[in-house]
Amino acid sequence: MSVALRVEDLTVRYGPGCQACAEPTASDSAGALCADCGSVHGCREVGFEVGAGEALGIVGESGSGKSTVLAALNLDQPVSGGRILLDGDEITAAAGSDRRRLRAESLGIVYQTSQQGLDLAISAGGNAASRLLAVGWRSYERVRAEALTHHESVELAGERLDTPVRAFSGGMRQRVQLAKALISRPRLLLLDERTSGLDVSVQARILDLVRRIRRETDVALVIVSHDLAVIRMLAERVLVMQAGRVVEAGLTDQVLGDPQHPYSQLLVSAQLT
Amino acid sequence: MTSALRELLDAGPRTRSGYAFAYMDESAKREVRRALLKGVCIPGHLVPFASREMPVARGWGSGGLQVTLATIVPDDVLKVIDQGDDQSMNAVGLRELIAATSGVPTTTDARAATLIQTRHRIPQDDLHEGQVLVFQIPVSDPLRRVSARPSVTRRLHAEGDYTALWLYLYEDTAQMGRSSFTHSYPVRVDDGYVMTPSPIPRYDVPRLHQAPQLSLFGAGREAAVFAVPPYTDVVPLAFEDRAFEPERFTEDCWRCGADGSYLDTEFVNGLARMVCSDTAWCARRRAAAG
Repeated sequence: MSVALRVEDLTVRYGPGCQACAEPTASDSAGALCADCGSVHGCREVGFEVGAGEALGIVGESGSGKSTVLAALNLDQPVSGGRILLDGDEITAAAGSDRRRLRAESLGIVYQTSQQGLDLAISAGGNAASRLLAVGWRSYERVRAEALTHHESVELAGERLDTPVRAFSGGMRQRVQLAKALISRPRLLLLDERTSGLDVSVQARILDLVRRIRRETDVALVIVSHDLAVIRMLAERVLVMQAGRVVEAGLTDQVLGDPQHPYSQLLVSAQLT
Repeated sequence: MTSALRELLDAGPRTRSGYAFAYMDESAKREVRRALLKGVCIPGHLVPFASREMPVARGWGSGGLQVTLATIVPDDVLKVIDQGDDQSMNAVGLRELIAATSGVPTTTDARAATLIQTRHRIPQDDLHEGQVLVFQIPVSDPLRRVSARPSVTRRLHAEGDYTALWLYLYEDTAQMGRSSFTHSYPVRVDDGYVMTPSPIPRYDVPRLHQAPQLSLFGAGREAAVFAVPPYTDVVPLAFEDRAFEPERFTEDCWRCGADGSYLDTEFVNGLARMVCSDTAWCARRRAAAG
């Protein structure tokens, strides 16, 4: 299995930083806020690899840095240190039209809220098509055929291709986001809490859909979630984050079945069964 | 019109001390010319300039007026049109001001004019080398629909990111089968920037492509100028398999019988009839026919 995504020492810091918070020796339980200079670490020295076709889960409480890592991977968040390599190419500092092309071609993201990922006034097909138009597709028929293929592959009815997303339910909007993310056949798919706020049956169907996508493509997947059951179902490996740091990493069954770090233990034991 | 301005107009050019040739002072003209030169060097690129107060309200052609006043020379022959009409109020007011403060002769014949200021039309006659066509621009940025923030649209222009305009085209085609841009149809200039050709009808858009005249565009309210040099590619945005379509008319001109000119609707005694939008061109045809 080839490494699709490699992240080395990824650090996002808000504030100037100082000697005290540059020291990596601070204990795991220390907060993300530096007492000396007031800088906040969104995440600190996060490193991992995801193979093509593999799925990595990131769990942790609110504010632990999960979404910061995801935003950095999506090139939404400038990083203070570290490197992000996609298929061996460094994309950490991509800017301008390089960044736009990478995002449209190689990255796909499903945001927590559909307002973030979609233009609600535009049709479902148009939202997905925008990624093809961004990389220079100029044939209407081809763009439309591709949009329809992906629209139907996420189990949306073909006749709703031209319906504005505003008229769609929450579950359907998540599907439109998935179609939009997958239309350019990205190398890396990022999912942010994709099923929260949906009812259980809709959630289950979307999870099935993601499992099917994994079977059919070799896209590398990074999933951020509070929901350990979702991670257990979708991801082979998992990172547990706390206060911007990775406190435990390993195979999902191992970490969630036999957590070693006190915080992981807390997280697993707090789950309702 | 203020009495002072009336007095100035009646006095004629260069007879009243304190006023420069063509109304604007030389330093103001130089500033506009520098912006225009930059615009000519980077076809289709929006160049900001220090838009002055003009004796017409902003939105009434003050941008085109400043471009004209900064460009005009005593040898010029001037034509001013509004929607193709030499006698419409906006055209008459601007022509009177420019002619009175510069003393250049005026004409309604597009072939004889060296400098033509226009609102929303390109004259029906094919223009020739050496002519300058000045457009009045209400909205200078084709990406204004996408974002109201100039900082955002500037970045999109710089990165050549016109995805949003293509998405409008996709969306229009999917919903209606064609583009909904009726005027100000976005065009790609010299395979670079996308610009608005001003609110000319789609009929006039292909007439900018490889045109022999110099086209200058002035937006007074938005304080921006841009330009298309002679013989420059001007290509409307359109999908490969959905050709750009200009307006087509099923009728001929009611007055001169022209087939294929751009027509306006004219109401006479409650009856609508289609007539040439370029009134001078239409009158010449009728005179020639006797």
